[in-house]
Amino acid sequence: MSERPIETHDSGAHIAPKSQRYSRPRRLFSWWGLLFGLGIGLAAGLFYAWNIAPVQEFDTAPHQLRAEDKANYAVAVMLSYAYDSDLNEAINRLSALDLGLDPIQAVADIACDLARTGYVDSSAGIRAIRSMRTFYQLQGRAGCADELVPDVSVVLEATVVVPTNTPTLPPPPTKTPTPDAPTPTEAGVVIVPTTPPRRDFEGRPNNTFCDVELSGLIEVFVYDFDGEGLPGEQVRARWDDGEDLFVTGLKPERGPAYADFEMEPGRAYTLDMPGLSDPIRPPLVADRCITENGQEAITSYRVVFRRTG
Amino acid sequence: MQRWLLSLLFGLIAGGLAGLFIGWEVAPTEYINSSMTDLAERYQQEYTVMVAEGYLLDGDAQGAVDRLRVLGVANVPLHVQEVTEVFITNSRNIDDTRKLVALSEGLGRLTPLMEPFRELRPLRGNP
Repeated sequence: MSERPIETHDSGAHIAPKSQRYSRPRRLFSWWGLLFGLGIGLAAGLFYAWNIAPVQEFDTAPHQLRAEDKANYAVAVMLSYAYDSDLNEAINRLSALDLGLDPIQAVADIACDLARTGYVDSSAGIRAIRSMRTFYQLQGRAGCADELVPDVSVVLEATVVVPTNTPTLPPPPTKTPTPDAPTPTEAGVVIVPTTPPRRDFEGRPNNTFCDVELSGLIEVFVYDFDGEGLPGEQVRARWDDGEDLFVTGLKPERGPAYADFEMEPGRAYTLDMPGLSDPIRPPLVADRCITENGQEAITSYRVVFRRTG
Repeated sequence: MQRWLLSLLFGLIAGGLAGLFIGWEVAPTEYINSSMTDLAERYQQEYTVMVAEGYLLDGDAQGAVDRLRVLGVANVPLHVQEVTEVFITNSRNIDDTRKLVALSEGLGRLTPLMEPFRELRPLRGNP
């Protein structure tokens, strides 16, 4: 390629050529060809990577499960919740399942679906659905499992009634001599203790919340082993110079397990079930809190007592 | 023309490599509607722990086996034993380990390794 000489005016000034088309050096690449190739190559590469040879499935997360297995996983989450009453953990696990905007209502829907199938043919299935029901009812949700699964437990165990001590009159004295040494018990005789078994509960604060309408409230729930609410159970709140007893089941609209107690601002309260549980530690303090709307209220607590032995 | 074809070839190669990188590394295929059998190991272990908690509530070993069967393991008691021993040898959460030991014992798979962690019992017997 020959260079075009720069034209010079008579005055000696340099004049740019009229057209520089042939004065530019040829590029090594054609931009159009490169862009065209990039586009086609990218599309072909993506097609191959996504359709022909996609990455092997591994590390599947719960949200990738099909609906049926999401239900199985949700049941396990509810069993875990029934065991430890850890609401935050349960919500986190349900969120990992990606059940929609309202994972608690999704649990109610899953329970409803399961209650309509053969899942409830086994006692394990019924217990699982009851656990789910307890969970979503406590959070103010409802589902068809409320009606489909009976509240009354199907008692499969033989109930052993242990006689309690009944005061009786002392027997009249007889002429039969009483041996000094205790008579050895005959082999094979089983001595059944006559003291009724002690019922033990374990209590723990589940969570706190800040609400103007429920300001400074301790919400207490008392459950049996299997998550059934227990009405008529006494709960005691103690503070520095006093104590008060309140009973579950007096507000049927909140369920048989429910009772509540209103705290005074600034005080610390210890909760227990008299004779049936250890006091909850640390004490529940009626501190001030700010609601989401910026209003001032007193911290409220949700406490769960569960029968453990 | 030759210059254009060379550019096209170079673009095809570069674009293809970029496409593979994006398709395999940056935005790989995400599977949905997967089965429990494909669940990541850590989630399978978490699921097993949750089932163990259910077992501790009701003492229903058969119910626990039925719940674990969805993981697609051929031998559920062996699976529980293996998960339990993984938890013990890797010093995982002690509470979870105890729950798994209780379930493993309930399924007849209590090994000497588990003995020190044998603390929990089901709250009630098998209905």
